[in-house]
Amino acid sequence: MNAVLRCSPDITTVPALARRHPLALTPFLGATVLEHALSALAAEGVKHVRIEATDRVDELRHITGRGEAWGLEIQFSDDAPDPLPPARIVELDRLPQLPNQPLWRTYRDWYSAQLALLPAMANRRVGMREMAPGVFVGLRTRVDPSATLLGPCWIGANISIGSRAVVGPGTVIEDGSYIDSSAEVSGSIVGPQTYVGAFTEVRNSFAWGRDLLNLDTGSLTEVSDRFLLAGLQRRPGAWGGIGEAVRILFRGLPSRQGITNAIQLPGRNVTIKSAPGNSPAT
Amino acid sequence: MKIEYQDKTMALSEITELNATNSSTLRDEARAGLKHDVTSLDIDLSRTRFVDSSGLGALIALHKTMCGRGGSVRVINPTPTVQQVLELTRLHRVFEIVMTP
Repeated sequence: MNAVLRCSPDITTVPALARRHPLALTPFLGATVLEHALSALAAEGVKHVRIEATDRVDELRHITGRGEAWGLEIQFSDDAPDPLPPARIVELDRLPQLPNQPLWRTYRDWYSAQLALLPAMANRRVGMREMAPGVFVGLRTRVDPSATLLGPCWIGANISIGSRAVVGPGTVIEDGSYIDSSAEVSGSIVGPQTYVGAFTEVRNSFAWGRDLLNLDTGSLTEVSDRFLLAGLQRRPGAWGGIGEAVRILFRGLPSRQGITNAIQLPGRNVTIKSAPGNSPAT
Repeated sequence: MKIEYQDKTMALSEITELNATNSSTLRDEARAGLKHDVTSLDIDLSRTRFVDSSGLGALIALHKTMCGRGGSVRVINPTPTVQQVLELTRLHRVFEIVMTP
């Protein structure tokens, strides 16, 4: 079976989401919108996908490769001008998993779609576990025992939640982020590799790197103080030649996380508080 | 920056940026302009495009000054970006924020 995936170039309702990357690569529950769409098509038995896109196609190609990760054969419209034989046409203005919910009419649409798919996606993600009703936590994530997690929330992989931090309800923390002590995040999305500073409050917003987007008003702010909000992606060569030498020298040693896991005391539980109306954590 | 007086209120306006470059000047000029009978300080941020931690520090310093003399500080019509930074730092709970038409 063939499918044509149209990454609509003419969507202008959510410009802040398309600022860094094409809309198709917007973070969505541990992956990108495009990756979720490809997963759904593969699950439906599609074998060949033609992606029609004009916005930063190289970035899309970098994510999809030739489709091996999904067992698909992917071609892009600028690679092969000839369309596929009779094919299902999928507009990426909504996800196949959620066909009745548009993604890009407002910022709230994109947020609401994530909450709607949160339990289903969490149950499918390898290593993700439900620590309390509606509280899903991914692999290698560390939650301080004094932190409070309120469902529904998705806390991805390789995340650190600091002491007395409050996360949720209605919150998605993407992989590799760091929520510092006493920070509060609710009704919001924290993008991948994002540092949320101590004592800050992120509410009804999308925080990604230093960008802070209000989901209701569409107001976008670049926060200039790195102790408030910052990206955690390491810049190439940021540590210079010495750092690179040390990294190569110690490449064979276990990671810091691995060492931490190895010495972690068994039976140490994290305090989880469920949302009002939910039963307490077990 | 413009300073105006009305009754017991001192109003600061025409602030385009609140950053490390101008925050200490703003703070010092505002303090110097405080007359003895001023009990309320209105800071109009409707034209402020950018605020950083230095600017927030200046606002907090003025808040402390006014609290020390039994007065209060109001932030008037902050732009959406300033409002976001105030909320991120929880200062929207410290300052009275007034939105006027």
